[in-house]
Amino acid sequence: MKLSAHYNRANIIITVLVLAAGGLIYFFIISQLGRNQLDRDLSEELEEVIDYVNINGKLPHQVDFDEDITEFVKVNTQRIETRFFDTVYTEKKEKQPKTGRAISGLIKVNGDRYKVTITESSESTEYLVQVITIITLVLMLILLVVVFITNRFILNGLWKPFYDTLNKLKAFNLSDQEHFELTKDKVDEFDQLNTAVHAMSLRVKSDYHHLKQFTENASHEMMTPLALITSKLDTLIQDETLKYDQLQQINDIYNATGKLSRLNQSLLLLVKIENNLINGTELVELQALIDQKARQFHELSLNKRLSIRVNPRKKEVLASKYLMDILFNNLFSNAIRHNNQDGLIVITLTDESLVFSNSASAGPLNTDVLFERFSKGQQSDGMGLGLTIVKNICSLYNWQIDYQYHDKAHAFIIKFDTAT
Amino acid sequence: MKLLVVEDERGLRENITSYFNEDGTVCESCGSLAKAIDKLHNYDYDCVLLDIGLPDGEGFGVLEYLRNNQKNEAVLIISAKNSLDDKLKGLNIGADDYLTKPFHLAELKARVLAIYRRKAFNSNSKLIFNEITIHLPGRHVEVNQHPIVLTRKEYDMLLYFIANKEKVIAKNAIAEHLWGDEMDMHDNFDFIYTHIKNLRKKLLDFTDNDYLKSIYGIGYKFTER
Repeated sequence: MKLSAHYNRANIIITVLVLAAGGLIYFFIISQLGRNQLDRDLSEELEEVIDYVNINGKLPHQVDFDEDITEFVKVNTQRIETRFFDTVYTEKKEKQPKTGRAISGLIKVNGDRYKVTITESSESTEYLVQVITIITLVLMLILLVVVFITNRFILNGLWKPFYDTLNKLKAFNLSDQEHFELTKDKVDEFDQLNTAVHAMSLRVKSDYHHLKQFTENASHEMMTPLALITSKLDTLIQDETLKYDQLQQINDIYNATGKLSRLNQSLLLLVKIENNLINGTELVELQALIDQKARQFHELSLNKRLSIRVNPRKKEVLASKYLMDILFNNLFSNAIRHNNQDGLIVITLTDESLVFSNSASAGPLNTDVLFERFSKGQQSDGMGLGLTIVKNICSLYNWQIDYQYHDKAHAFIIKFDTAT
Repeated sequence: MKLLVVEDERGLRENITSYFNEDGTVCESCGSLAKAIDKLHNYDYDCVLLDIGLPDGEGFGVLEYLRNNQKNEAVLIISAKNSLDDKLKGLNIGADDYLTKPFHLAELKARVLAIYRRKAFNSNSKLIFNEITIHLPGRHVEVNQHPIVLTRKEYDMLLYFIANKEKVIAKNAIAEHLWGDEMDMHDNFDFIYTHIKNLRKKLLDFTDNDYLKSIYGIGYKFTER
């Protein structure tokens, strides 16, 4: 529910209650005033009747007091309190009973006692009530219409800067170069909001920039010593007096350095993928890429005399060519490394998915930690980052990756996002 | 060939210089952007090896200096940053190649010679090593005027060995040159042996000189001796 709707609901409920209460109070006061007026009229008439009787010594005729109905009833009681009361009466000409206000009292005419009752119509008061009710209802209606119009044309306009800011926030991307645009607004609150968001975006961008620089600097700081070690080794092995044992040791250092450098590269790559620092997506034709990779890895698979079977199909994905290269390098490397002698690699590409399966003897892998960093199989001499990278590349593009094991074969299934 | 090495890590600079100096290449070096521009102002070089992360600024400044002064030095960037953006930036403002640290000296030398040949001979050249003649544009090889057919890997390997003749090259370096470091094959370099064996056999078909020596335990050496 929108803020304006919340506000309107409260507004309408309170206004309607106040209006109704006001109407009620108004009604009671007006009707009280009306009754008092009627009572005053009736007392005056009663006095007129008494004056008439005192002067003329007889009861007046009905006609003399039009609109009002005066009745005289002979009574024997000594005293009757003068009192006012509400009553219902019927005029002679009309059949409909009417509500009225009456006064009754005692008069003496030539020694006879009469109870006199004067009744006056109270219709005007009722009419007043109707008018008040109608005015109250009309006011409520006008209020609703006004609220609706305010909502529609004024409030929406007022809130527009807020929605603009909201949309900009939604579209905000850390890796974008452009900054959050600061717009000046008439409303102080929105102005403050914009300023706060602007300040926040600048802060976040600068933090992000620092992180990016840190990763790059970390790479630099580690790669240079590694380059130094490698070049020292390259120079060292030129020495012809070195013996086989010493060369073996150097070879081990080479391997460790190579591993360290690949580890560093992989970690930096992971940071880049996780922070979405890889730019440049294009349509990548997977079939061609798989064919190319299969050719590249063919030689490496010869050692185990593996056969690579590709069930290809034209399939294009929107992705970074660089990451796709890495994805297939890792999948192929894994499929070759964890294979049997004379084993098989089967790659099946369809519109929806890519299945990479290879024969194995070791049994199913532990799916809980399979894609975790630095988790690796018992026979694996890798770094345990390959599948993490594969998984991160997949999640970057909203692809789903699953692992299955059946018929003594590992299978990695990548389901492409249907949107791409 | 005259070479300028711009690298702030002293040890690395010395190793590169001594590796290149041995076969008659004149190799000078410096460790900062200002000194590099000073040297380039006073002398001409064939090739500049340029580190991007220098203490007094980014190495891109050297590229800009060369471009603004219409100097014709070939530039090979050696950067610790394996960043696509940097690579594209460097190549866009006039670098000829980009090599990421850590690298093998053999790889560096092969790359430098390749861009040197491209610049110096307009890529219309033959590379002659005794009885072996390599026609670079057509990528075909003759031994004693007999054409021999090499696979792509064998051809790359032959060029690599000739660029680093008289040097011991580690198996790791050969593997990285042929397959790139993405192909993470974990210290198992047996497959190189097959390629070396085939290359040696093809060369020996038309010559008696066995240039390819195996240095037991570490790698290979292409040598006349």
